[in-house]
Amino acid sequence: MSDVKTTTTDKSVFLERLIFNTRPVWLVIFALLTVFLAWHASQVRPEASLAKMIPTNHPFIQNYFEYQDDLASLGNVVRIAVETTDETIFTADFQEQLQKITDEVFFIPGVDRSGLKSLWTPNVRWSEVTEEGFVGGPVIPDNWDASQEALDKLRENVLRSGEVGNLVANNFKSALIYVPLNEINPDTGEPLDYQAFSEQLEERIRDKYQSENVKIHITGFAKIIGDLIEGAIQVGMFFLIAIVITLVMLFAYSRCWRSSFAVLACSIIAVVWQLGIIKLIGSGINPYSMLVPFLVFAIGVSHGVQIINAMVHNRVDGHDKLMSSRLAFRSLYIAGLTALISDAIGFTTLMVIDIAVIQELAIAASIGVAVVVLTNLGLLPIVMSYIGVSERGRKYTAKIQNERHPILTFFERFSEPKWAYSALIVGVIGLSWGLVQGQQMKIGDLDAGAPELRPDSRYNLDNQFIVDNYSSSTDIFVVMAATEPSQCIAYDNLEIMDRFSWHMENTPGVQDVKSVVYVAKMGGFGLNEGNLKWFSLNRNQYVLNANTGRTPPGLINPDCSMAPIIVYLNDHKAETLKTVVAAVEEFNREYQQEGLDLLMASGNSGIEAATNSVIESAQYKMLMWVYGVVIVLVFITFRSLRTVACIVLPLMLTTIMSQGLMAMLGIGVKVATLPVIALGVGIGVDYGIYIYAKMKEGLERGMHLNECYKYALDNTGKAVGFTGLTLAIGVATWIFSPIKFQADMGILLTFMFIWNMLGALILIPALARLFARFGKRIH
Amino acid sequence: MTRTRFCATAIALAFSAVATAQDAPSDGYDVIYAAAMPAPEATRAVLTEIDKTADRVIAVGDYGVIVTRERGADEWQQADVPSSVFLTSIDFADDTNGWAVGHHGVILHTTDGGHTWHRQLDGFQYIELQISYFESLVADIEESLADDELDDDLRSELEFQLDDALFRLDNATFAKEEGPTKPFLDVHVATNGTIWVTGAYGALLQSSDAGKTWQVRDAAVENPDGYHLNAIVSDNDTLFMVGEAGLLFRSSDNGVNWDTLESPYYGSLFGAHVDQQQRLWVFGLRGNIFVSEDKGDNFTQLSLSDAVNINAAIDAPNDGLYFAGNAGVVAYLNAAGELIEQTHASGAVLTDLIVDEDGSLTLVGQRGVLTMPSSVLSEKE
Repeated sequence: MSDVKTTTTDKSVFLERLIFNTRPVWLVIFALLTVFLAWHASQVRPEASLAKMIPTNHPFIQNYFEYQDDLASLGNVVRIAVETTDETIFTADFQEQLQKITDEVFFIPGVDRSGLKSLWTPNVRWSEVTEEGFVGGPVIPDNWDASQEALDKLRENVLRSGEVGNLVANNFKSALIYVPLNEINPDTGEPLDYQAFSEQLEERIRDKYQSENVKIHITGFAKIIGDLIEGAIQVGMFFLIAIVITLVMLFAYSRCWRSSFAVLACSIIAVVWQLGIIKLIGSGINPYSMLVPFLVFAIGVSHGVQIINAMVHNRVDGHDKLMSSRLAFRSLYIAGLTALISDAIGFTTLMVIDIAVIQELAIAASIGVAVVVLTNLGLLPIVMSYIGVSERGRKYTAKIQNERHPILTFFERFSEPKWAYSALIVGVIGLSWGLVQGQQMKIGDLDAGAPELRPDSRYNLDNQFIVDNYSSSTDIFVVMAATEPSQCIAYDNLEIMDRFSWHMENTPGVQDVKSVVYVAKMGGFGLNEGNLKWFSLNRNQYVLNANTGRTPPGLINPDCSMAPIIVYLNDHKAETLKTVVAAVEEFNREYQQEGLDLLMASGNSGIEAATNSVIESAQYKMLMWVYGVVIVLVFITFRSLRTVACIVLPLMLTTIMSQGLMAMLGIGVKVATLPVIALGVGIGVDYGIYIYAKMKEGLERGMHLNECYKYALDNTGKAVGFTGLTLAIGVATWIFSPIKFQADMGILLTFMFIWNMLGALILIPALARLFARFGKRIH
Repeated sequence: MTRTRFCATAIALAFSAVATAQDAPSDGYDVIYAAAMPAPEATRAVLTEIDKTADRVIAVGDYGVIVTRERGADEWQQADVPSSVFLTSIDFADDTNGWAVGHHGVILHTTDGGHTWHRQLDGFQYIELQISYFESLVADIEESLADDELDDDLRSELEFQLDDALFRLDNATFAKEEGPTKPFLDVHVATNGTIWVTGAYGALLQSSDAGKTWQVRDAAVENPDGYHLNAIVSDNDTLFMVGEAGLLFRSSDNGVNWDTLESPYYGSLFGAHVDQQQRLWVFGLRGNIFVSEDKGDNFTQLSLSDAVNINAAIDAPNDGLYFAGNAGVVAYLNAAGELIEQTHASGAVLTDLIVDEDGSLTLVGQRGVLTMPSSVLSEKE
């Protein structure tokens, strides 16, 4: 970017001497460091750790962590629906397929084999009450021979098993395989590799068994993580696309392949360094912080362009390669440092958000910016001092130096009163739109299914299939009923838990509530010959113990000190979650019982509720920080409140309008979109600083406002435009990411980068005009 | 063959106690005394019985839920209930006076046709009643045994009864510590206005003063094993009671003396019904339905093809009957004796039903209030 102080000193400065007097040494050092860091960078693997995406210090999450092991078996399940295109699943062919798939799943590493359930596992049984007591058996008849008779018997058993809606779809056109996973491999003690597991499911189940007649649908947390990582790898491709587009733009700008490649190479080196350093400090790259390499690359290019720009001008002015490079460095290093420092400070304000992925992103971005200082302010001038600028580039620059670009002429007008006030009115309209529309902005994720992925992604289609055909919601809010050891099914506790369940069932947005209480009541019903009049808790502890004898693992923990109460929700919209949280709090206020705590929260929706509450409060905190920092920075640079207003007001307009855009596009404020505003403002302020710096320079020289702005545009307008476009292109490729939140980030950042650029080019002169007039009246 | 149980002392023992409704004990939450939670989803609670008065339909169930639907209306309203126990049964004496019973020994009473209810008995009071009852029973039997001129047969019979009474007294005394554990399972207002309540482990109560006082009558029937008494019904002059393991009792003197009838079935009977033609129907496990045209002396069997529990029977239009049972089974028996079976789409356990004015069915059970258009069954006819 252009510089704050353009008065080029004639004497060389210390930093310049440090770099240019020992150029070969530096080249060797950079080369060695690049090789070293590239080796580390090559070992970076995308990861998606749940623990990092959640606010670990939130009380909900603390409670969840306390019982994480006990809850593991509850949530970590994969469901495989095997659908037939025939009329019904009760055909010999389909059952044969289902049996094969069940067997195949059984042998996939990571599957908790004892908990595996399908029509073809012996733990799925039918039962009925007779005069003598219970009778029952596996749903697959003992003498299965795939005959019509056996199929009829199977159908009858299925109806008596109570599995319709669970393992068999309500429309009898698909059957489910319920696959609990071992978080820790019991043989090796290794944690489950989600990506590997997900790949196995694809290879050994979907690819192998999906056919014209059989469709496979797979859902579960493990599958989401697998798909996320897979999607993240695809995003790597986008990086290549961004590189190609940037190269074309660089060439269009400079008409010199040599310097275009030099800028590109230095920017890529910056990315390599950044990744290598991340690996070295033990941090990883996640689907959120994957944005950072794109940003680092774009920032690197935009600063590199400044060096090239200055260099070529120097060459045109008749300096040699080395001197041109030295002069370029001399004129730009302060400006570059200031701009980069403001970027870095913008990023570090993200540290106030207590969510690890955002903090990792902040750290990664700050490291990246620091690296850009070295590569594009240090390495690039050295490289350029060797290779120089091509003849073609020099000629092109010499030619356009004396031409006025029509676009610049267009922007120039905005310092004239008529255009200025029109622009301001348009700005106010945009502001009003943003404010009104922004009211509709929602916290959290708004789409059904796995919000990380696109609504039409295969995962979400599979999920929709299972939600439609089976009686289960995938939005789960878990309240943990914590008691003294061995008291989790004590009568007094169960009775309160029962009332709590009923309280929750009557809360809007709640579909169903299940817990050991339900098991106990069903036990009373079942053990009394299926007489529904016994569907209740009994004060006799022995009766309760008998009634809860068939409690599935996961509904009470091993020492019976915690029983999860699972609340199934209609959706995971922020309002629904807020209502649910408020309902739990209300119950806790009203019913206090010694020795029983109803703790929030676990389950995907419980965790999301915690995340939402952190994000909601962090949203304003972060805006205050980022604007506070920017205002202070601008004030220090210009020592004028009027200037602060000129530069910051366009940024605020963009921020407010992007909130309106979020509301309009149905993008919620969430882990992914929260950092975007800080990034947008942090980088966006640069434009304003450069333009205003030039205008100020003009004012100091006694120019009129119009002349000042013209002067500023001549010097930095093209660079600001180029920078805005480079940054926008870097992130715009993300719009096509298979991961929904990456696409959301891409849309918002593109919007903010471009709008901030336009805001700087149009509104700064317009505001300056307004304040100038306002100022005159006062004096 | 029937046999009148030796129960000379039982009449004398019809022990009375005034049960005054008392407020919740101060120490913590108790489902007996906690008022039913106002619940928007009340009709989705597990509901057990549904009854009809001239003005409205009333259903009872889990969490102290009592819901009413005015005649001709579609909306259900939740009644004001001072208890949250699982309610199992409801019956009305007339259009305003009704009783509902449930677990934890709770008996509720309404005098406004079902909108507001108050407690007439709770399990802790019931335990006190039981203790006094069995103490008196023991004292009485001991007094009889003191008579030296008793013949040996009678003596051994009385000794057996004494053991039984002592055992039950022990149980009741123990229950003071533990709290009430025996659910009431049915309430029935007989033609003479007596209110009868049956329950688990042989519990039997009656009240002749609209529930102001309750008399324990456990020993009135021959039930040495303490089987559950699942249901009680009456025709104009006779009371019938059915229970676990095929228990079947009859009283022709308003419940003073009870005869044990020979049961047509050794499995549990969950309900009984006297139809318009004064036939007695009893039904229970595995689709077993029996009908008697001679007040329970002789039965003929009807079997449903779906071997599921049958929980309720009611009169249907055209001299037919409706039955409802587990797994969503609803059956229509026409006057010609043909059974038409259907399954409610929910597949839920159904425990009771009524016929609405338009002939459609309102059912209750595992999934709360459900409906079924009349056409589903009549079209098949």
